[in-house]
Amino acid sequence: MALIEVENLSVHYGTKGQLVRAVECVSLSVDARESYGLVGESGSGKSTILRAICGLAPITAGQIRIGGQPVPTPRGRAFSRRVQMVFQDPYASLHPRHTLDRTLSEPLAIHGIGGSDARVVRALEDVGLPANFRFRYPHQLSGGQRQRVAIARALMLEPEILLLDEPTSALDASVQAETLNLLNRLRDERGLTFLMVSHDLAVIDHMCDRVLVMQHGRAVEELTRDQLAGAQMTTDYARTLFDASADRMLGA
Amino acid sequence: MTLLSVKDLRVTFDTEAGRVEAVRGVSFSLGRERLGIVGESGSGKTMTGRSVLRLIRPPGRIEATEMVFDGTDLMAASEREMRALRGQRIAMVMQDPKYSLNPVMKVGAQLTEGLRLRDGMSAKAAHGKAIEALEAVQIRGPERVMEAYPHELSGGMGQRVMIAMMLIPNPDLLIADEPTSALDVTVQAEVLSILDGLVRDRGMGLIFISHDLRLVGRFCDRVLVMYKGRVVEELEAKNLMQAEHPYTRGLLNCLPRIGGSRAPLPGLDRAAEWAE
Repeated sequence: MALIEVENLSVHYGTKGQLVRAVECVSLSVDARESYGLVGESGSGKSTILRAICGLAPITAGQIRIGGQPVPTPRGRAFSRRVQMVFQDPYASLHPRHTLDRTLSEPLAIHGIGGSDARVVRALEDVGLPANFRFRYPHQLSGGQRQRVAIARALMLEPEILLLDEPTSALDASVQAETLNLLNRLRDERGLTFLMVSHDLAVIDHMCDRVLVMQHGRAVEELTRDQLAGAQMTTDYARTLFDASADRMLGA
Repeated sequence: MTLLSVKDLRVTFDTEAGRVEAVRGVSFSLGRERLGIVGESGSGKTMTGRSVLRLIRPPGRIEATEMVFDGTDLMAASEREMRALRGQRIAMVMQDPKYSLNPVMKVGAQLTEGLRLRDGMSAKAAHGKAIEALEAVQIRGPERVMEAYPHELSGGMGQRVMIAMMLIPNPDLLIADEPTSALDVTVQAEVLSILDGLVRDRGMGLIFISHDLRLVGRFCDRVLVMYKGRVVEELEAKNLMQAEHPYTRGLLNCLPRIGGSRAPLPGLDRAAEWAE
């Protein structure tokens, strides 16, 4: 049975009297320990799917199930123990006036988990940050270091599922490589399941086993990694996206 | 023909913690072509671009043995002469439309402000010129965009509005600082082809600052690779894949590729002597 199941999901918003159909009837399923990618241009609804899963966007129609159970509304603590999200912009997703220590120990306090001292130290070590960073503020870190903190925070509750929303698109090439390596290592070590959004096909190809191409809120085509690398897409839009990424091919 | 020539440019900041040298002896010259400057954050590429416009605030200092733009010595020019150059002859497109457009002013008002105040144009003429500029960057429904506030536009639209704004005075040199990093691949391709057309049709010089090596290699004529305030390698863009410097090679190798192996991506080993 699939760990994450999204069935005919629609997300509609009303703004300024206009109905915005952010996601229209999208289905996908991700197995345990699988890494699944969502690609598409901005406004294609890929991030909205992640937000709907963790309760930041309304589910207008359809169903989301984690481990066979429909997600409750509000999501609740048991949900946060299993599913955590890493956001795109590490400058915006960390509280500027909280030290790393406070940022990392807050989820533990909320969930009444003891031994936070040792856990914070280990969390920093796991993401490759020096222990003396513990009482620093986010503005004292570089972008790549902040994204490591965001990943560490998401892992504090030892979830099974990480929702990754463009985790490296705000980072330089060399820092992106380090962050992707970190995510892959953590996935191996902890048996995590990834649902990852990116607009960079090369990043998706490196990280994911399967990928769903999206456009205008709809699913266009699902590809396996081999189909992507072999350019075996059948829809025009997936082809356009692939061609725009021609400089990201092996041997280019 | 040389449009801009820079020799031994240095940017230093005297801070409480000592001197920080952001740019250390950069030299280049530019004709009516597309020059790319690549490097990681902190390599001094943005500072190099800003120095050309003398847009570095104290405690930062700019020093150069030569910095000449089309016959004007930029180091000796008065602040008044610099103001006449900025925007009119040398324009700069900033990285992020979210922070570089005035959030409480309609796009139309921002586009026409300079024309009305600086060139004393009538509201009607300025409006017409702004519409023309928006059409030049392929914005559909320019009338609607003129009436919009920046937050009502998508990232790609905002970026195009900024480019339109910079192109209204018809500059000879455009400095574009990461103009496409906030955009998707498909929109990125559009913005690049707009810039490309402008360089060709108007004979403009372009300095394209980016951290995306592949993009620069595809789009520019010549590339400077910067590391810690120095140019470590200068090469023709078409020869980028044959780059020799270990830093340039490292930057190329750490990018994932479609169909590549799943092994950990090679990190960048930074050797101290590259910065010498």
